[in-house]
Amino acid sequence: MRNLWLLLQRHAFLLVFALLLAVSLMVLIQNDGSARSSWFRTTGGVVSMVENQQQQWTNYLQLAEQNASLAAENAALRSRLLSMKLTDAWRADSTHGWRVKTGWLVKGPDGLPRTMAMATPGLDDSVRIGTGVLATGTAFGTVVDLGEHHARILPLLNTAGTWSCRLGQNGAVAPLSWDGVDPNKLTLNDVPRYVEWTAGDTVFTSGFDLKFPEGIPVGTVIEEVPSPGSEFKTILVTPLLDLKSVRHIEFIQSVSDSERIVLAQPMPAP
Amino acid sequence: MIVLRLVLMVALQALILGEVAPFGVWSQPQWALWALLMVPPQLGPFSKLVAGFGLGLALDVACGTYGHHMVAGTVLGGALPSLHRLLAPRDGYEVTSRPIIRELGVNWVLGVTFSSALLYHLTLMVVDTWHAHLLGQAVAPALTSACWTTFCCMLLHLLVIPPGRNATRSS
Repeated sequence: MRNLWLLLQRHAFLLVFALLLAVSLMVLIQNDGSARSSWFRTTGGVVSMVENQQQQWTNYLQLAEQNASLAAENAALRSRLLSMKLTDAWRADSTHGWRVKTGWLVKGPDGLPRTMAMATPGLDDSVRIGTGVLATGTAFGTVVDLGEHHARILPLLNTAGTWSCRLGQNGAVAPLSWDGVDPNKLTLNDVPRYVEWTAGDTVFTSGFDLKFPEGIPVGTVIEEVPSPGSEFKTILVTPLLDLKSVRHIEFIQSVSDSERIVLAQPMPAP
Repeated sequence: MIVLRLVLMVALQALILGEVAPFGVWSQPQWALWALLMVPPQLGPFSKLVAGFGLGLALDVACGTYGHHMVAGTVLGGALPSLHRLLAPRDGYEVTSRPIIRELGVNWVLGVTFSSALLYHLTLMVVDTWHAHLLGQAVAPALTSACWTTFCCMLLHLLVIPPGRNATRSS
């Protein structure tokens, strides 16, 4: 406090000068229209510049938060749009109708070979074992175990799963699996040698495994793994989305699921 | 006495002497500056600052130019201590020194008067013009007016306290 007082004493003349000048300028601005307009224009420009700068900083600092929020909103909208599309498309099919329920991943695949995913809801929302799981319109996995409120999902990124897929809309059907090495490379095995393909071709679900309807996109073709002398070839497929960062999912199951499961069982020997 | 001189000069300028501008805008005198320049140099800086502010305030009230002379007077009052220190004789000012030709010399009086008039007129030019793009045109009249004000103040010096006359100590 004493130092402050000494500082004020030392600069008393300057302070009084500034005070008197401020009073004079105030009188001038209040009584001179030209000075007033110029003053307000100048100060307005400065204030605007400072506010713009501040706004830019605020926007920059909130960018990550806004990005996450937009991503969540985008995913929710995509899920909703897909649900609406699927519902509309399959409701018209009286024989093979499907129904969709949205859900959230509690635990996602982490790129390790045996990791299972977990999602909510579970039994309490009529989710059944064998139900297919979509993420933003692409195949994600299938339900293998159920709790009251949660479902355990076998994702595409698990070496235990095999998925019936089709190369292109009307191409050959082959099993898709993951070798547990690179999360960006799934393997389409046992593709007949005569099948032609080009990089970028889309791989769809065939629907033969009764988990997904046919025509759900899974990934795109990257390249063929050389296998000289074999009757079949192996094609590498990259998933359409980063399966490790999925948050919103849709459970998709057939309206006549029970009947399909029963009929899919092997016939007892006569 | 300082206050009386200030009031008298402000009244004279507002009523009569302000019109003595033979070249119009090129020679607008500030006669009242003489009263401020008659403030003894050894006086404290606060007194000079307040005197400058008071002179501006009085001129604004008398001339109806609210704020213009206040700003210029305050700037001059704030700069006057530095100006006096800058032009001080080698041995400093005596306690009884007065800012007149006979005591501090014609060079000192002329230097202080012209510097003060220049500062006052330039400040006045800024607050009168206010817009940056008009300042260029206003510099030349401000300079000539400063010269004219210097001439007027020197004339007052010669008329009121001639160099050869033993003036009454009044400040």
